[in-house]
Amino acid sequence: MLTTLLIVVPLAGAILTWMLPLSRESTAGFALLVALAEVGLWLGSARNFDFGSDAQQYSANREWFDQLGISYAVGLYGFQYWLVGLAVVVGACAVGYGAWVGRENARAYFGLLLFLVGALVGVFAAQDLIVFYVFFEAMLIPIYVLVGVWGGPQRLKATVTFVIYTMVGSLLMLASIIAFGISQGTFLLSEIGTSSNDWIFLGFLAAFAVKAPLFPFHGWLRLAYTEAPPEVGAILSGVVSKAAVFGLVWIVLPHFPEPVEDFRTLVLALAAGTLAYGSILAFRQPDIRGVVAYSSMAQMGLIVLGIFAVNDLGLDGAVLHSVNHGLVSAGFFLLAGMIETRTGTGRFSELGGMAKGRPVLATLVLTLGMFTLAVPGSTNFAGEFAILSGVFDRGWGYAAVGAAAMVLAALYALRMISAILHERRGAAVREDAGDLVGNELMLLVPLVAILAVLTAWPAGITDRSFPADGGAAFIASQEGVSTP
Amino acid sequence: MVNGGWVCLISPLVGFLAIMLAGTRITRRQAGIISTVSVFVGFAGAVVAFIDAWRRSPDDRTELTTAWTWLQAGQFKVGLELLVDPLSIVMMLVVTGIGGLIVLYSNGYMAGEDEERRYFAYMAFFVFSMLLLAESGNLLLLLAGWGLVGLASYLLIGFHHERPSAVAAAKKAFVMNAIGDAVMALAFFLTISHIGSLEYGTVFAAVDDGRLSDTVVTLLALGLLGGAVAKSAQIPLHTWLPDAMEGPTPVSALIHAATMVTAGVYLICRTHPVFEGAPDVQHLAALLGLATLLVAGVIALVQWDIKRVIAYSTMSQIGYMFLGAGIGAYGFAMFHLVTHAFFKALLFLAAGLVIHRLDGEQDIRKMGGLRRSMPYTHATFLIGSLALVGIPIFAGFWSKDAILASALAYGGGLGWVLYVGGLLGALLTGLYSFRLYYLVFHGEPAAEGHEAEHHGEGDRSMLVPVGVLAVGSTIVGFLAIPGVWEPFETWLEPVVEPLVTPSTTQEWATSAVAVALGVLGILLARRAFRAGRELVPDGAVRTTLEHKLWFDELYDALFERPGRAVAALLRDRVETPIVQGGLDEVAGETMRGATLTASVQSGLLRTYALAFTVAVGVLTLVFLVVR
Repeated sequence: MLTTLLIVVPLAGAILTWMLPLSRESTAGFALLVALAEVGLWLGSARNFDFGSDAQQYSANREWFDQLGISYAVGLYGFQYWLVGLAVVVGACAVGYGAWVGRENARAYFGLLLFLVGALVGVFAAQDLIVFYVFFEAMLIPIYVLVGVWGGPQRLKATVTFVIYTMVGSLLMLASIIAFGISQGTFLLSEIGTSSNDWIFLGFLAAFAVKAPLFPFHGWLRLAYTEAPPEVGAILSGVVSKAAVFGLVWIVLPHFPEPVEDFRTLVLALAAGTLAYGSILAFRQPDIRGVVAYSSMAQMGLIVLGIFAVNDLGLDGAVLHSVNHGLVSAGFFLLAGMIETRTGTGRFSELGGMAKGRPVLATLVLTLGMFTLAVPGSTNFAGEFAILSGVFDRGWGYAAVGAAAMVLAALYALRMISAILHERRGAAVREDAGDLVGNELMLLVPLVAILAVLTAWPAGITDRSFPADGGAAFIASQEGVSTP
Repeated sequence: MVNGGWVCLISPLVGFLAIMLAGTRITRRQAGIISTVSVFVGFAGAVVAFIDAWRRSPDDRTELTTAWTWLQAGQFKVGLELLVDPLSIVMMLVVTGIGGLIVLYSNGYMAGEDEERRYFAYMAFFVFSMLLLAESGNLLLLLAGWGLVGLASYLLIGFHHERPSAVAAAKKAFVMNAIGDAVMALAFFLTISHIGSLEYGTVFAAVDDGRLSDTVVTLLALGLLGGAVAKSAQIPLHTWLPDAMEGPTPVSALIHAATMVTAGVYLICRTHPVFEGAPDVQHLAALLGLATLLVAGVIALVQWDIKRVIAYSTMSQIGYMFLGAGIGAYGFAMFHLVTHAFFKALLFLAAGLVIHRLDGEQDIRKMGGLRRSMPYTHATFLIGSLALVGIPIFAGFWSKDAILASALAYGGGLGWVLYVGGLLGALLTGLYSFRLYYLVFHGEPAAEGHEAEHHGEGDRSMLVPVGVLAVGSTIVGFLAIPGVWEPFETWLEPVVEPLVTPSTTQEWATSAVAVALGVLGILLARRAFRAGRELVPDGAVRTTLEHKLWFDELYDALFERPGRAVAALLRDRVETPIVQGGLDEVAGETMRGATLTASVQSGLLRTYALAFTVAVGVLTLVFLVVR
């Protein structure tokens, strides 16, 4: 019931936002209120959440299209709880940012944002393939519009590119879902069993490889991340990419054990390649969002490494790092937006020297930068370390690429920090460009605070991602009824 | 014992957070006071832990506690563990004791700087990180502290962030250390995959009982050595340290002399069972130490920046510590770490007094004759130099000679190479340190010198720490008098038992030779100074030394340029034309046909929807049929 509520609240909020004839300010305020209520709901649901249990929490299961074996089934396990949390927290920050900036066509805009949050929660809570697909598509539509209408100068091109990629991914995934469901007679994840069909597996894999994205399926990434409004970019890089994490962990791993085994080397190689490629390209980007975009791509490669290690360290690390990366990259997108409103640009050649006289901005850029490069001791480091020690068992080469990427991350993150903050004042930085103000801090401080808490206690998540037996055993136990 | 350890660790963290969160609500002066007090409270905690341990029997001086589980995944579990034992207590005392004095000194030195609060926050943060490193009860937490001191170092080297050279130096230090961190992490992955744990006890036991094969132990030791070499600025990862002198002088004293850079030595001593399981790697540590102590010694001969001379001397002295740890003379290596912390902090802080008085001048060609106008500084600097060269009664005499005597006792080809090389280093030390001393304090004041008349030798908050360190540099050596009174070695023995113990005769004989060489160095430096000559005449040798043996240029050619080229290549040949480019055409085509809104009207979108449905249908069939 509570899971359904978590999905419905933002969706209902979206509809109300569209319908109520409120002024721009009131619309923003209302949307923010809904987003915060959603966060409260999520926090409250932790109280009775049994993380150690291998039973679904707050599950709802109602037959939908009986004859077709489709049911409305949602529910949460530990790792889903954290992904939902990421969605609602980043969602609230994004709504807050939109309110602070004062977006045009407020009703349409905030309605779409809330709708996006609801769809994301639905994706992460899905326990039925059709439900998953519906929410997956529902999540894409607001993104198309948000980028296409409120985006930067090249928004149209960005949207079209994004649409083409996601269409191809969706198409393959839908075919896989239908084929899988028909052959098994149900779409319910808890009953669908396993398949050894390589094609169905590859269909899913392709969709998630686009979503993550993995090299070379990342053609949409640069433009979409650069042209999106900052708060949409925050959700896009921080949360939407995690739909791939959910899909891989909860659809691909448990239900395609044989293909996972057969294609493991390929996927791990792609993931390691993504990690290296993203890290290297991040180093040559000319602006903040470019660095964050490619760094995000690299981090997604790292997360996929953890997932396809298919052991406790890798899986727990992947969940922890999904949250870490989501918070950090969302924070950096908002920060990039705040810098862009002050200077009109995110280009490094025109930035610089912003630390002087802007201590709060400097501290936040530094702090988030240090999380980005996963400074040892941080929660990002904990996630990275767990993932890489997990994937080490599958081959030391992957871990070696990961270790090299640690150095590359230091290179690109420090380059970005210095380009924004240090040395001479850049051409676009006016002397009177102010420090961050209270409203902006209220958006960024919660993200940093969560990261700080996780830094003190990453086990808070890793120990609560999968039931007591550990991630690998839990995934293996989901095979359920096996059919030839 | 553990309580003292906790107080010691937490207090600087509280200081850091208090200053950061208070922001501009506190004055700069208050920030300095908070930082100083928090570090000295930490020192009090360390003293409590020490007294507590002292009272117990030697076998009962180790305590391990876990605050909470930090990271857990399946069977793998790492706690936020604190290890308080004689070895970590030594580090705690040094870090908070010397650290407290240096932070106190900063109150005077940094007065009037912009962003002083940030400085004091970072200093407290550094002390916390260093304590985390020293007190951690497992390898992962050690790596956390290891990375955080690197972060503090980055922040403080780059403190003057409007100066491009400072920013570049900070980045260089961070990246070099990140290489060390990555190598260490890789070794830890290997360890986890074999024994699923990073607890000191478990790892050491697995080394002993053979659960970790020789190859694995060797790789683990290499990984640890990689981290140690980066952090302690030993060849080949040493090039960041001289550049790190861009940081304010007290930072150089604390981080780049007394504590952080010696962490590598602590690491080897802490994980000595691993190194003993891989003797080749341990010997490699000794040889790298020897190489560094000689190379840094000769480069120091031609430097003109007062801080860079001392920085090279730091590298060189840490070389001695590596040499000692590499042959298993752990107690003496740690002892040299302690004495070095005193006299090197003293040298830096005294140099800071000089720089402060000369309004930031660091070029020793523009100094001279300061003996008369700065008698206090002169006396303390001289004590520091004597201790550095290892002249009897001063601290360095006891510790350095003990390491050399251990090399003699170690014997064999390796022992002799280390011994002779180390003695040669003693000569070099005499040469470069007294070249510096004479150029700064003797002769006539340089014409360009712009001695500021307004301040005396310095604020009292600066003079007192210098005095305390001078006294320490004089007397701390008495903690290890060969054959007479050796409490330091006895103290450490229960945790780090040395592999080699020189006889009393070997120690005194070595001392005689080493002191003679040191004095010879001093005399040569004096003669050169009197004659107005440089120690290294112009020519190819001098050019090579001035370019620091071309290490920077080499790395630039080997890594930096190819790295940039690869990145540019990927961007311009793969990403832009292929990944983005192929798509541009498709997207362009779509957009030429109609804009997105127009396409709805023209029915294009409906066509797409139809195509989509057909495609899904076909694919589904294919998936179902083709098995």
